[in-house]
Amino acid sequence: MKTILAFREEEFAWSHEVFSCVHPLLLPLCNKPFIEFLIDFAILVGSTAVRILCDGGINPIERYCEDGSRWGIALSYGSLHGDDTAETLLGKNRKFCGEERIMIVSGFSFIRYDKRLNYKSLAGSLPEGEWAACPGGSITLSGAPEKPPADGAATPLSLMPLDGMASYYRASMEALETGADRYVLPGYGGEPGCAIGRNVVISKSAQIRKPVSIGNNVQLLGDTIIGPSAIIGSNVIIDRESSVESSIVLDNTYIGEQLEVIGRIASGNRLNDPRSGASISMEDPHLLGSIKKSQTLSALPRKVAHALAALVMISVLAVPFLFLWPLLKLGGRWRSAQIDCHSENPGETISLGKVELDATNALGATASTLSLDRYFRLFRVLTAELALIGSTPLPAEEPHPNAPANALAYRPGVFSYAEAEQWPATGGDAAIVERYHLVHSGPISDIGLVVKAFVNRPHEKSSA
Amino acid sequence: MKFTLDNIDGQLVGIAELEGRLDARNSKPLQKTFLEWLEKTPLVVFDCSLLDFIDSSGLGAIVGCLRNALEKEGDVRLAGLNEKVGMVFELTQAKRLFSIFANRGEAASSFAVKPDPGTGR
Repeated sequence: MKTILAFREEEFAWSHEVFSCVHPLLLPLCNKPFIEFLIDFAILVGSTAVRILCDGGINPIERYCEDGSRWGIALSYGSLHGDDTAETLLGKNRKFCGEERIMIVSGFSFIRYDKRLNYKSLAGSLPEGEWAACPGGSITLSGAPEKPPADGAATPLSLMPLDGMASYYRASMEALETGADRYVLPGYGGEPGCAIGRNVVISKSAQIRKPVSIGNNVQLLGDTIIGPSAIIGSNVIIDRESSVESSIVLDNTYIGEQLEVIGRIASGNRLNDPRSGASISMEDPHLLGSIKKSQTLSALPRKVAHALAALVMISVLAVPFLFLWPLLKLGGRWRSAQIDCHSENPGETISLGKVELDATNALGATASTLSLDRYFRLFRVLTAELALIGSTPLPAEEPHPNAPANALAYRPGVFSYAEAEQWPATGGDAAIVERYHLVHSGPISDIGLVVKAFVNRPHEKSSA
Repeated sequence: MKFTLDNIDGQLVGIAELEGRLDARNSKPLQKTFLEWLEKTPLVVFDCSLLDFIDSSGLGAIVGCLRNALEKEGDVRLAGLNEKVGMVFELTQAKRLFSIFANRGEAASSFAVKPDPGTGR
């Protein structure tokens, strides 16, 4: 069995207006991109390969889904013409289809299925033709059945057209309420109806009322009330004393203090009423705002300040470095290795030297006190690959919850803000400290924090 | 901002028409002008049927007007909120502070003195 997923721009044009920041096929339903529900269903029916066809731009989908190895299937991509029928699609994708049975899922529709049922056997025995349909969408089977038809087999699936904000809201709430029983949903939860992602900070006074689904990197501040029936996306902050009920808060959204979001969809600075279709863009960051990666991170003054300070440090430390480094190296007290770390730009890595310094003798202790183990990294500040002070560089070989793809702010530095504030260099608290300074610190305060980190490091080592 | 006075069953009711946007630029003038209106009557209807947008400073201004009216034993009532403006009042829970009516006529009539059922006056 193979599956063709066919979409036409006109089916999801409404989504571009309402949720302009996300490709419609990646629109999250209960914190899971829409396309993943279809891929899951294709896997349930026993597909080994899925081809995604669209008459519009599909690059964001390719970047997100890649070759499908994440799901253990082969994913390929192609284009279609808006008028193409099922037969035309089969003809145009003959090479992909081969001799196998093909399921064509057409239209921007939410498939109501139940992961506990055996769709593989059902799809293999159903006769050729339409399996399920709704206005604007259908599931069609092509090719001879692989098995004899089972008597009285019901069709335990249906389609819901996603033709506007109201149906999107209904589908999301349905996925939340039926929950992990029927669909594969993201997040962790010790009990049904409550799924929480990674790096979620929940204030002690916050209340969570099931069912809820909360994404990654979320902060729920004091006295917030989340739920019932609340879907909170990733990179969301719900400020103190606000409540979110029967609502969807999409990724990268800030909900201000003392607000009541009931029966709404909040996306960035846009508040939508799914029932009436009304939508208002808040220009007021105190109410609703979109969370973006801080522009100050890449701001030129900050980079220039870091480079100048690094130049001063390189000059000042040159003499002790040139004296101590050869001695330590020859004595076997200076061991270095290269590690690949996440770069500031998501998906990219930088190779950094990691030095292990034996500080048990006077020379090693002096080199450690002067942070000479970071000396070579100072040169990377001049090329803007590293900040002088920033996040602790995260090794690229293992997935990390604070990796750039997930984090609101990440910029690897020679020194880390956690070192300046004497937080343990690892752990969620350090990540929050680093994120805070990355967003709120400026060129001058950065220099002060470098001095603090420089002074704190030897103290930290001696107290460890 | 247009302000008119209406006599509703012997009560002088001020009707203020808010138009376009109510944000940081014009919220201060509204509060200032409102004090002048209050000298004429403490019973005011804000007709919002032509109001397209409101932000938190505009909302703060309206709440400030309400506070001033309440101090003079009056009230501010809202009329003709469109869906967008209504959403801001709902989101901020400001809806609970105000009596909201479908149109200015209803809002103005709500200030009429209700006869006391006991005395008939």
